[in-house]
Amino acid sequence: MKNVIEVKHLSKSYKSHKAVDDLSFEVKEGEILGLLGPNGSGKTTTMNCILALLKYNEGEIKIFGKEMSPSAYDIKSKIGVVFQDVAVFDELTVYGNIDYFCGLYIQDKTVRAEYVEDALKLVGLTENKNQYPKQLSGGLLRRLNIACGIAHKPKLIFLDEPTVAVDPQSRNNILEGIKKLRDSGATIIYTTHYMEEVEILCDRVIILDKGKIIASGTNDELKALAKIEEKVTIEVPELSPIQLSGFESIKNVSEVSYDNGVMKVVFNKGKNNLADMVDYLKDNKIQYSKIFAERPTLNDVFLELTGKELRD
Amino acid sequence: MFWHSFKYAFRALLKSKAMMFWTLIFPFILAILFNMAFARLHDFDVFEAFDVAVVDDENFRDSEIFKEAFKTLSEEGEEQLFVTQYVDSEKADQLLADEKVDGIVYIVDGEPHVKIKKNGTNQTVLTTAVEQIYQSSKMIEDIAGTKINEAVSEMSPEQLMRGEMPDVEKIYKDAVATVSEAEPNVKDDSRVMNMVVIEFYTLIAMACMQGSMLSSEMMDRCLPNITSRGKRVAVAPTRKGIVIASNLLASYSILLLSLIALIAFMRFVLGVEFGSNLGFIILLAAVGGLASTVMGMMLSIVLKTNNAAKNVIILIITMVGCLFAGMFGGNKGFFDNLSPIINKISPVGMITDGFYSLYYYADLARYFSNVYGLLIVAAIFMILSIRGLRRQRYDSI
Repeated sequence: MKNVIEVKHLSKSYKSHKAVDDLSFEVKEGEILGLLGPNGSGKTTTMNCILALLKYNEGEIKIFGKEMSPSAYDIKSKIGVVFQDVAVFDELTVYGNIDYFCGLYIQDKTVRAEYVEDALKLVGLTENKNQYPKQLSGGLLRRLNIACGIAHKPKLIFLDEPTVAVDPQSRNNILEGIKKLRDSGATIIYTTHYMEEVEILCDRVIILDKGKIIASGTNDELKALAKIEEKVTIEVPELSPIQLSGFESIKNVSEVSYDNGVMKVVFNKGKNNLADMVDYLKDNKIQYSKIFAERPTLNDVFLELTGKELRD
Repeated sequence: MFWHSFKYAFRALLKSKAMMFWTLIFPFILAILFNMAFARLHDFDVFEAFDVAVVDDENFRDSEIFKEAFKTLSEEGEEQLFVTQYVDSEKADQLLADEKVDGIVYIVDGEPHVKIKKNGTNQTVLTTAVEQIYQSSKMIEDIAGTKINEAVSEMSPEQLMRGEMPDVEKIYKDAVATVSEAEPNVKDDSRVMNMVVIEFYTLIAMACMQGSMLSSEMMDRCLPNITSRGKRVAVAPTRKGIVIASNLLASYSILLLSLIALIAFMRFVLGVEFGSNLGFIILLAAVGGLASTVMGMMLSIVLKTNNAAKNVIILIITMVGCLFAGMFGGNKGFFDNLSPIINKISPVGMITDGFYSLYYYADLARYFSNVYGLLIVAAIFMILSIRGLRRQRYDSI
């Protein structure tokens, strides 16, 4: 597959702060690339540099094989962007907003009318097309924001946290819409904080922190990076402090917690972890009602790689 | 693409309640309030001359024009405006404190000043009359100065060598006569009515300045460092110049329609007599509105701050310009002397000067110098805007 985006050695500083530090990656045609990272990791700055909205200090950016610049109108005509902030006109109706932004790309009125209707259908706003943004709920507003960014049927779409603060129904609608866009052949760059969305949608993921790529790969490749093998949850009605501390002596156990009759044991990579623990329960005559194990999630990998301390 | 963008920018502005209030509704409200405030002046049967105190000191006695003007305006008859008491400074203050006069007029360094205790119609008439007298005196000086220079340049070197000089006294008398004849160029030549007209001129000038707010608002919607909508426009394959030009035209169209509606409302509903000046008023308003609109665009590009802060800065710049131009009861002459350059380069200064010149001058030379000045300022603002816009990518957004 062809590279739709090629970023080579991109660096961007705000005075002394290095927001993006020697970043290089490619995006293949037709894939959904997840761009993950804590707040301030450089996701949005990277996106703005790629879109030629921001000056950058060093590096090279090519889109569809051509160098990206503010006047690269042929490239821009194939790009759609859904920004993090809702970017619509309060004074225009839902239809007016989509038609206005679509009209910046598509001049033919008949084609545009068809595209606007398609976008309304895609985000489920056909019945709201004569309403004004102030009359829409937060979820509907987000959907309008998406429709304004993709109505012109772009080949490359940037989605910057499109599901922030939306209700589960709207979120589901948005994710379904994104899948449809991918199925129609669009290449998508998707930034989000919601790991489950990445697991559902993205073919490949890049994790950024402090302006650098700290990991990249498919969901499975990233999960394989996790130090933990599994997380075991056991319902134990009664447990003495001695019995509890005994769990820490089981081979490969990295973390033990007990709260309200529920015990959580985290195992590092190794063999027969679950069997060893069941043996320990039997040997110490500890009564338990339920037991189940979970494989590490992308969220676990993310927290392992970026740390658990709070970010701004 | 241009008309697509224009259509939606125009529609968005029309539906913006805040913008339409300040551009269209607010000047109409002010016009109605002005009309109500001056209503009694329309009925000359009920207009009564009111008491004023003039500080009769050396400064006043040296000012021939003010002496003559107050003598004329205090003469008993149909056109009497003031019942004037010529007193010293202390006595004048006492009369004002006791509310036995509506205001005090005193001269410092050739400039008139008005002291009032409260606001009211009489106080407004007094302030406007004094400003009018001062403008007339400045105009006489201007005309006489020009004529003296012309006379000197026409004299031969031999005449100059002989020490011959132009007839300065005659030139001054002619200038006074010119100013007197020029006054006023409207059907109703009552002094009181002319003061009302000049207040309406001031209102039109202020309405012109709303163009800055309109264009600034529209520009912010196109700039990626200010709004997300601007970012969305910036990533589209449409040339930035086309989007900005269409937004600017939409802002100007709305302003122009509002100004024409305001002038028509003043003329045909409120019955303000603009005489034969109506066409010139519309032309000056159109050019002034253009300069104001381009100024708003330039400031929006140059000021790297958020929309709200930008609006406050534009408002301050506009209001300072209005104050220097003699609005809000200010004395234009005083500010002309304080900082002559501001009124010469600020759009609002040129707009008001253009209106004043329509009122004070018989010929249109000064009026057109203001029209051309506004066009030049608009061109300079446009060049600065284009230079600013060339920095299409930002260090931070």
